[in-house]
Amino acid sequence: MQKALKALLWLLPLIFGVGFLAPVIAEGLVAAGIAAPFGLGALTFGLLVGGVWGAFATVTGRWI
Amino acid sequence: MNAPATNPADLSALSDAELRKLENKIARKHSGMFPWGIVTWAFGNLAVWLALWPLVILEVIPLWLSFIVATVNIALVYLPTHDAQHHIIGRPGQKLYWLNELVGHATSWVMVYPYEVLRVTHMDHHRHTNDPDLDVDITSHADNAWSAIWKTIRQRQPNGKRSGDYLRCLDRHGRQDLILLAIGYRLGFYAILIALAWNGLALEAFFLWWLPYQIAITYILFFLSWAPHSPGMGQGRYRDTKNWRSKVGNILSMGMQYHVVHHLHPYIPLMRTPAAYREMKPILEARGVQLEM
Repeated sequence: MQKALKALLWLLPLIFGVGFLAPVIAEGLVAAGIAAPFGLGALTFGLLVGGVWGAFATVTGRWI
Repeated sequence: MNAPATNPADLSALSDAELRKLENKIARKHSGMFPWGIVTWAFGNLAVWLALWPLVILEVIPLWLSFIVATVNIALVYLPTHDAQHHIIGRPGQKLYWLNELVGHATSWVMVYPYEVLRVTHMDHHRHTNDPDLDVDITSHADNAWSAIWKTIRQRQPNGKRSGDYLRCLDRHGRQDLILLAIGYRLGFYAILIALAWNGLALEAFFLWWLPYQIAITYILFFLSWAPHSPGMGQGRYRDTKNWRSKVGNILSMGMQYHVVHHLHPYIPLMRTPAAYREMKPILEARGVQLEM
C-alpha cells in the first residue's frame, strides 16, 4: 500500500502534465485562435507538451 | 478612544514579571469577544468564490474578471482558518466551538489542506518559530523580498523541502492519519482538476482554482511567513517576530504588520491585533522587540 502510494506520488507530475496541463493547453490554443504547430491537433500538441513537461518534472523534481 | 495602558517612562522600574503581567492584561482586554468580522469574512469569501463557477460556466461574467476575483478570494481564505486554528471563534467545550471548527473546515479545503493538518503544523510553527530544524515554515526564510517570492515557488516543486517538513511534523506528533488525509486532499484536488479539464472546463479549472491558488500561496507566505519572521530574526519569545511597516499598507499585507502581537498572544483575534499592538508598544520596546512603526 505504502509502496503503491509512493509510486503514485512520484508519478503525480506526469499525471498532472497529461491529465491537466494537456487539456488546458489545448483549450487555451482554441480559445486564443492559435493553430498548433507542425499541423498537429490542439489536443495532440497539449498532450505532447504536457507529457514531456510532466515527465521532466517527475524525473528532475522541478517544473521550473 | 482608549488611553494607552502603559507609560514608557514607568517601565524601566518594572520587573520581568510585572512587565509580563501588564502585557497579559492588555492581551486579555483585546481577546475573548466573538470575532464576527472573521466569521462573516470566511463564509462571504467562500460564497463569492463558489458563485464564480456557475457565473463563468453560464458566461454571466468573463473568465479574466473571475480569475482576478478568484485570486483575491483564495488569498483571503487563509486568515479565517488561521483564527479557527487558534480556537479564537470558540474553544473546545464552549458553545460556539462547532462554529470555530466549521469555519476551519469550510475554508481550508480551498487551499487543498485538511484543517487539522494546518492546525497541528501551525501550532508547531508557534512552538519552534525560526528553529532551523523544527519550524515547518523555515523554508520561507530569505534575505530579501524577491528571494522570498522565488523560494516559495521553488518550495512548491515536487522536490521542495516544505511539504516534507509538514509531513515530518505530523509524524513527530504521531498523526500518521493526517499524513494520509493530506495526501488524499492532494490527490482529490488533482482528480477534480483533471475531471473538469476533460469535461470541457480546463480553462475554468485553471483560472478559477489552480493559478489563483499558486498566486495566493505565494502572497500568503510572503506576508504571513517571510515578512514578520525574516530576514535576520532569531529565536525566542521577543526575538522571533518583528513589527514591520508594509509598503502596501496593513490591509493589503493582511494585518501582518502586527504579527508580533499574534505570536505573543495567539488568542487575540486578527482584527484586534493593531489596537493591542498600540497599547503594548512601550512594553515591546522595553523587551527589545524589533519595531519598525
